[in-house]
Amino acid sequence: MKNIHSNHRLLFSTILIGFIVLSVALAVGPAIWVEQNMQPIEGTSPLTELEKEGLKIYVGEGCVGCHSQQIRPLEMDSPYGRASIPADYAHHGPLGPFGPYAPGVLGTQRTGPDLADVGTRQPSDVWQYIHLYNPRAVVPDSIMPGYPWLFEVVEEAGPDDVVVPITGEYAPDEGQLVATEKAQALVAYMLALKQAPLESAEVSHE
Amino acid sequence: MAVNTPAVSDRHSYRETKTTTPAAAPPHVERDPQVTRLIYAYMGFATFWLLVGTFIGEYLGIKFTMPDLEQIPWLSFGRLRPVHTNAVFWGWSSLALIGLALFVVPKTSNRRLFSPRLGWLSLVMINVAVLAGTLTLMAGINNGGGEYREYIWPVQLVFASAVIIVAYNLIRTVATRRVKEIYISNWYIVAAFLWTIVVVVIGYTPFFQTNPISHSVIQGYFMHMGVGMWFTPLALGLTYYFLPRLLNKPIYSYSLGALAFWTQMLFYTLIGAHHFVFAPVPWWIQTIAVIFSVGMLITLVAGTGNFLLTMKGSFRKVFRSYTLLFILAGILAYFFWSAQGSLEALRTLNLAWHFTNFTVAHSHLTMYGFIAFLIWGGIYALLPQLTQRAPSRFLVGTHFWLALIGLGVYSIPLMIGGTMQGLSWIAGAPFIESVITMMPFWIWRAVGGSLMFISHVVFAYNVWVMRPVTQTAQATETAAAQAGVTA
Repeated sequence: MKNIHSNHRLLFSTILIGFIVLSVALAVGPAIWVEQNMQPIEGTSPLTELEKEGLKIYVGEGCVGCHSQQIRPLEMDSPYGRASIPADYAHHGPLGPFGPYAPGVLGTQRTGPDLADVGTRQPSDVWQYIHLYNPRAVVPDSIMPGYPWLFEVVEEAGPDDVVVPITGEYAPDEGQLVATEKAQALVAYMLALKQAPLESAEVSHE
Repeated sequence: MAVNTPAVSDRHSYRETKTTTPAAAPPHVERDPQVTRLIYAYMGFATFWLLVGTFIGEYLGIKFTMPDLEQIPWLSFGRLRPVHTNAVFWGWSSLALIGLALFVVPKTSNRRLFSPRLGWLSLVMINVAVLAGTLTLMAGINNGGGEYREYIWPVQLVFASAVIIVAYNLIRTVATRRVKEIYISNWYIVAAFLWTIVVVVIGYTPFFQTNPISHSVIQGYFMHMGVGMWFTPLALGLTYYFLPRLLNKPIYSYSLGALAFWTQMLFYTLIGAHHFVFAPVPWWIQTIAVIFSVGMLITLVAGTGNFLLTMKGSFRKVFRSYTLLFILAGILAYFFWSAQGSLEALRTLNLAWHFTNFTVAHSHLTMYGFIAFLIWGGIYALLPQLTQRAPSRFLVGTHFWLALIGLGVYSIPLMIGGTMQGLSWIAGAPFIESVITMMPFWIWRAVGGSLMFISHVVFAYNVWVMRPVTQTAQATETAAAQAGVTA
């Protein structure tokens, strides 16, 4: 063992192999175990193409930097919905060639509220559109950025346009506010964030 | 003959050759203009990314208090946040640490860097990766939102290849060393490269992360190891060189260093999942994580104790040198904020602090208070020696105090505010209450961030002052120095 101080092959291969063993045991192994045990909740359906587009925008705009999607089995998390279980995430698959992994929607920050069940809590698409355009139009103390580039201001909306009925301080000076396809996709995704009911209300980790 | 005598004859008493015979320092390491330019280039680009990354960070801090400042998509908060974190991780900290390692590994192996050419290649590749990563993130193209691996895989592939090239370069250097023992710095430094290659490969392998839960298991591993198996061992390994060298005495205990090293590898690896305490990831992984978070205290005490005991008896010297003060501050930050990290993993405290701004304070106290301060200590120790140009004591002091006070003004309010945020959630107040509560603390954060940024401008100026002299000027100086030695 003393040899390890002067034998670089021994030292470096111990370092490398030891770490690979630990990594497989603590990360890769459990991840594979999770993969094999992932089942969607009965009665839930995969995301539609539109919702999937919305998820891409959700990830691309970095929403996950401020919003978690994981409700812990704690009293303090109860306003957001029931405790999350792995099956809740079964429909969030890989996003494409540049994101061949599932999106990291669980998050680590709550600068804004949790969104795991936002579709139940705030089911109005009109509210979601106005809030996305400028959050302070509906929540005066909000510090969330607005996403005006997901919208267009047109003089006269066409029959197929999704008009956002925003009024007051934050409304465009003239013309009508119209949600682009991106905004429609993002809102469709957020409204799809509804926790499916579980047969047993008790969720245990044991 | 003296030149080729191993500087490290006994691993228990590594000494700078300078202490005994000044002329014995291997000239092929000390005074190689080619290597000096290479290392300086690393520091120059690292400084560039420090300025860019922290300017963006400061801008993000301001956005908390002024969300309608502008509404340009490329500058929106969600896109810029990972630009900031990745630029300071992979641009600033990584380039600076690699640059220092390219000096320390050859030096403690008593030979020349295996390939300066490969050193340049990896420098270019890392810069290309960080630049491309920055632009793609701003364009709204990312890897799926896992923290610190937001760069898409083609970008991270370039970065990882550069890390592999540096690893090869350093291992070849150690393998052909002119000393028997492998100095402890090189354990840490080479290990950091080997571990990080494994971490990046696992982090970017898709087939076992196709749902958000398995992805989170890997994410906990990746973000945690990215910090603790890359920045931490690099910074510690470099300190095992710079501290004894600056104090002109050997490290207190080689065995403590080895103990800290192996427990780092074992315990730290076992605790990655503590970032997802209470999350729907397997409960037993979380329990292991929590238990070994406490075990990490052994590593911390062994590592910090070793450095402080090395300093013992020399504190007068430490307090007279800003270079050593940077290192002292970094070592203390390593101890306190890593211990704080262990505390955060305890379930009761996690309850109040998880998801809050407390964690933002923690990541800055560690990546900045610990890593950046040790880097600065290393740069101020090394560059003047390589280039024969030292910045003014006043400006190094200005950098030190602005950075230290800035970090305090940044993080103390965030810790207080973050705790209040958590308590507000526990009390069941409406969410927006926690946003309103945070506002004054976010203003303080912006003030602290500004002080930190100003300190970086001062640092950048100091780096400029320490630039290598031109070859003719150097030749004159070398001649003069040699004349001095002979005289």
